[in-house]
Amino acid sequence: MTADAHQWKHGGSESVELPPLQVRTAKRDVAAFASATGGALELGSVPLTFPACWLALPPVRALITDSIGAGFLPVHEAQNFTYERGLELDCDYALCVEASRTEPPPRLTLRISVANPQGEICARLETVLRIVPTGPGPAL
Amino acid sequence: MRPARNRAADRSNRAWACLMTGTAGTQGAPSLPEPGVKIPARAFGPFEKEALARYAAVSGDDNPIHLDVKAAKSAGLFDTPVQGMLMLSCFEPFIKEWRPDLSVARLSCKFLSPVFAGDSIRISGRAISRRDSPRPESVLRLMAHGPDNRLAILCEATVRCNALGRPR
Repeated sequence: MTADAHQWKHGGSESVELPPLQVRTAKRDVAAFASATGGALELGSVPLTFPACWLALPPVRALITDSIGAGFLPVHEAQNFTYERGLELDCDYALCVEASRTEPPPRLTLRISVANPQGEICARLETVLRIVPTGPGPAL
Repeated sequence: MRPARNRAADRSNRAWACLMTGTAGTQGAPSLPEPGVKIPARAFGPFEKEALARYAAVSGDDNPIHLDVKAAKSAGLFDTPVQGMLMLSCFEPFIKEWRPDLSVARLSCKFLSPVFAGDSIRISGRAISRRDSPRPESVLRLMAHGPDNRLAILCEATVRCNALGRPR
């Protein structure tokens, strides 16, 4: 899959930005997430970490896979959530994703903003992935 | 005697002032945690392989190192590590159980060492600072330790009183 296929906009030599993605806080998905993380769903609330699910959206996943390359695995090194306002259940949001690769050591940083239909930023996420080669190595 | 409406307004103003300063001038009024206040530790888990698979299914975080021992070993691990985001998802309930009147406006963490399938974590923490401007909020230092007391996750959370415009 190529960058052109994703219609990526290159913000710099190592920075890639996806076109805005439409996401939704479907109550069913939020409830399943809350259940899998051991928390009960508070009526009307979306768990703080729920937007992490959107990292698995096909375009985001492809961005990560392409940025990391074959023979490597992403290892979650750091995570940041900043909320300007809470996400509401059963609402649509626009997700903007920018990825930048730095090294050494090799890392991929994803900066994500979540905006409501009025264009107001509700939340920002930063995900730092360390890129490790697959293959035999010392067991941690 | 002053009109009831004025007395109600006074109470509201006192509560607001309490929130702004973080001092509980009225019994039961919410206040921000003062620096040094400890949060009772709580255990989460154990995170069995089924829990990792369930989280992978709902979150989409199906990185094979969390689900397949062979993939984990290829990354230098001796077993499948618990998804960091699964453990991080425990921090908000940890705070809300301690202080339901607080909301988390920011959560920032570093994953320092892996916790493996079948293990539990123990989350603990304390308030390290409080500020009144630009918005009244406190910062909590939180830690998750693995079974051998190894520090697995180091976190900072910025919390606000719900009544002050609940950020979430």
